[in-house]
Amino acid sequence: MEVLTPRSLDEALSVKAERPDARPIAGGTDLLVELNFDRARPETLLNLNEVPELRGWSRENGTLRLGSGLTYAEAMRAPLAELVPALAEASRTVGSPQIRTRGTLGGNLGTASPAGDALPPLLVEGAQVELGSLRGVRSLPLSEFLVGPKRNALEPDELVLAVRLLPSAQPQTFMKVGPRNAMVIAVCSLALVADRERGELRAAYGSSGPVVGLVTAPLEERDHFADTVAAAASPIDDVRGTAIYRRHALRVLAERAMERCLA
Amino acid sequence: MARLIRTEKEVEGRYEEVWTVVEEDALDQWPAGPLEVVGQPAQRQDGLQRARGEARYTADVRLPGMLHAAVLRSGVARADARAIDVLPALELPGVQAALSCEEVDFLDAEAGYPGAAVAAVAADTIEQARAGVEAIAVEWDESEPLLDPDEAIARGQLVSESSSYERGDLEAALAGADVVVEAEYRTQSVLHNSMETHQAVCHWEGDTLVVHISTQYIWGVRDELAEKLGLRPDDVRVVCEFMGGGFGAKNGAGDYSLIAAELSRRTGRPVRCALTRREENLAAGNRNATIQRLRAGARSDGTIVGLGGEFVNAVGWSGWLAGTDGPMQMLYGVDNVATMLRGAKLNSAPMAAFRAPGFVEGTFGLECLLDELGGKLGIDPLELRRRNHADADVLDGRPYSSKSLLECYRRAEPHWDRRHEVRARSDETWKHGVGLASQVWYGGGGPPSYAWVRVGSDGSMTVVTAMQDIGTGSRTAMAQIAAEELGVSLAQVRVELGDSARGPFASISAGSSTIPSMGPAVRSAAGDARRQILELAAQRWQKEQRTLSLKGGRIVCSDGGSWPLESLLGLLEDAQILGMGARGPNPTGMRVLTFGVQVAEVAVDVGTGEIRVGRIAAIHDVGRIINPLGARSQVEGGIIQALGHTLSEHRLLDPRTGTVLTQTLDAYKLPTIADVPEIVCEFVDEPDSHLTNLGAKGLGEPPIIPTAAAIANAIRDATGADVRSLPIDREEMLRALAALARAKERSGDRVAARPA
Repeated sequence: MEVLTPRSLDEALSVKAERPDARPIAGGTDLLVELNFDRARPETLLNLNEVPELRGWSRENGTLRLGSGLTYAEAMRAPLAELVPALAEASRTVGSPQIRTRGTLGGNLGTASPAGDALPPLLVEGAQVELGSLRGVRSLPLSEFLVGPKRNALEPDELVLAVRLLPSAQPQTFMKVGPRNAMVIAVCSLALVADRERGELRAAYGSSGPVVGLVTAPLEERDHFADTVAAAASPIDDVRGTAIYRRHALRVLAERAMERCLA
Repeated sequence: MARLIRTEKEVEGRYEEVWTVVEEDALDQWPAGPLEVVGQPAQRQDGLQRARGEARYTADVRLPGMLHAAVLRSGVARADARAIDVLPALELPGVQAALSCEEVDFLDAEAGYPGAAVAAVAADTIEQARAGVEAIAVEWDESEPLLDPDEAIARGQLVSESSSYERGDLEAALAGADVVVEAEYRTQSVLHNSMETHQAVCHWEGDTLVVHISTQYIWGVRDELAEKLGLRPDDVRVVCEFMGGGFGAKNGAGDYSLIAAELSRRTGRPVRCALTRREENLAAGNRNATIQRLRAGARSDGTIVGLGGEFVNAVGWSGWLAGTDGPMQMLYGVDNVATMLRGAKLNSAPMAAFRAPGFVEGTFGLECLLDELGGKLGIDPLELRRRNHADADVLDGRPYSSKSLLECYRRAEPHWDRRHEVRARSDETWKHGVGLASQVWYGGGGPPSYAWVRVGSDGSMTVVTAMQDIGTGSRTAMAQIAAEELGVSLAQVRVELGDSARGPFASISAGSSTIPSMGPAVRSAAGDARRQILELAAQRWQKEQRTLSLKGGRIVCSDGGSWPLESLLGLLEDAQILGMGARGPNPTGMRVLTFGVQVAEVAVDVGTGEIRVGRIAAIHDVGRIINPLGARSQVEGGIIQALGHTLSEHRLLDPRTGTVLTQTLDAYKLPTIADVPEIVCEFVDEPDSHLTNLGAKGLGEPPIIPTAAAIANAIRDATGADVRSLPIDREEMLRALAALARAKERSGDRVAARPA
């Protein structure tokens, strides 16, 4: 296996254009599991850890730009945690301290698993995904970027550069059900924003359908919203839980999230 | 003097009558309570070695020229391996030898479970060995697996003869009872998942087979391999210096050591055969699932008049009948008891002993049933247990060698009294409650076991015995016992163990028997060395020997004189004092058992079914405590392991194919530190005056036994729901709450609707 380590974004994009089969790796918290389980044998790894342009986060005219190399540990820290509190809450539920220190937002986006903890909080905040290649930069709404279970809209020569969002500054939360208190993949999860400014409830569910799904409704429909969320999901039975349980738990989480955000 | 006697031998609850040679146990017990070294908390002597990575486990053994073995295993639940061709493997680079079930009798072509071994390859690297395994050509003749235990019983597919037990007249007793409860309990299959997987490195030195193996029984491996390979026992040398856990799954030699031994014989090179984590979760043993259909009847005053149980152990392809029926027979003073225990032979991996096999499962059923009974009677659970306390052994009326269960109950009271305050924390979402459960288990150990103590002129004291320390800290406990007897500090004593060629026979580390079997032998050896030291001292200082003793590193005379021990030992030069000791017999006509009670505090989220265990108080009675720190570790470990099988661990099979769905620690949910509650640990610490020169019983297993029932009973206290199936995951919790809501609706008692 060959590991290519570009030192700049230009170099990274050139390598990706030349070697579209190269699998990007940042924290490796997903990819190394695939390697260990023998689910993947990429010939080439593209190590993005030395690309400074992908790191950290910035703010321009109120819009946040979260680099794809932003780690969960970084997302948990103020002031970012105060700007996107649901993302900070979700980040705290990821793996163990070691995994939170290594794992990145870009990894969640690249893997595009419906269980990706960062995805529901980004979805309820209307995040756009910034994709780059030698051909240029394009931007897609997260809901369009996620096209199926573990499938996304990346072209072979593209890399995820960043996520952009305008923080709603509205009450929001993230909740997750797992089979134990730490180091779990979600049985189901939910992010919710009670957006009084727009008079809207937005919820996104994880691990309850082929992709992370967004459900919106006017604030007046609060009483039915938990049912709406549960009905919108399309969960399955698997090792972690049953479809019936997931739908039930989503309803409970949605109800509690609204209590918390509308209090 | 050695005597040949006929005696009962017990391991993991299985008794057999055997001839055995025993030595007199001449030493009087020490006075109760903490002594100079014994009874004082001692850090592990090998703690730093372990923390620094210097301790050599079997997993660290890398011998010059060593080959690696990989094993071909069945991928399905039931298949016959036909026409195995290993030649393609032998043509691959690095592959040095291959064997299959067609040529060795320790592998079986009838692969009755997923992961059954049928062939193996040895190569220069593990990757080459795995490639070799891939290359082996096999025709698999698959057939429909049998996976349902009840169906297996109905079809007469049993692993062994069923076991029935009866005393009194159960049916008459239940007919005359004021209250009868009946319920079905289920426990799941769980996996040991020791940190160190099952493994062995074998090589031949002439005609001697040297086996490095992660084992709980050095001498058992020696005998088993000698028998299976047609060798004299002393032509097998077994080494295990450090071990990364076993929990009952490493009591035998295992096919991996036979594979390594045979491949080593063929290649003339050392061969390592180590299971991967996946293989560990497929084919290295498990705690079998059980179904328990139980009945209990009581008079309105709380006297339990009858207990009945139909038990099914889902044993798997092979194994033995662990005593799921044991707690029902032994825990309470009930006159009328009838049990039937059957073992279903299934196309799933064979069970192996797992920390109190049978009793963990059976205590869950019995102790939950008892609380359901108490609920109907309106009697406090602690009081109900007191009223039915067994004052003498209920199996045959023998006296207990010692029993302080009532004292455990007394000490449980302050923890039990917290329930009012705990319940009051409940709100709409979180319901809080407290539950308790009792425990009975074996743990008396037995002969034979031997130890030597060597005292040199430099004042060093070395305990030599070919026992294993399976990770419990036995090494340190043995050093404490020797130091106490020799009147020296713990730092002056070292323990050499772990090699059948370099020490006398030592017993198995299973059935909570290491301390009660080995401890008295070590004390006896140290006592022999002490006697010899005092003999020399009497000559050196012209005193009567009976006036001399060893204390604080000095030879002390009752006339007030004392001399540093070095002043005598220094005279030895190259001479040594060699003490020999043996484990004496168990008390005849007495039942040696361990007891305890645990009190659990839980909170249940009635919306999501999440369960949080906040606190567990454990009070156990295991005779004298040698090392309070080590004992506490055993209690914490037992409770944490129990939390796993109570709340999250489950070996999940595909219900149609029998494929194991939880082969990695990603899918198989062990508890994390975030799941661990506050653990309060107390010991009665009263020596068993009838048991050996120590009065100490074993503690490895007791703490894991009552935890599941205590948690389930706390859940009932919190919510009113009966959880009768392990693990109590969120779905199970919600099912129990829904069943409660339905029952209340039926009885007309309107309550707020529970989630479906």
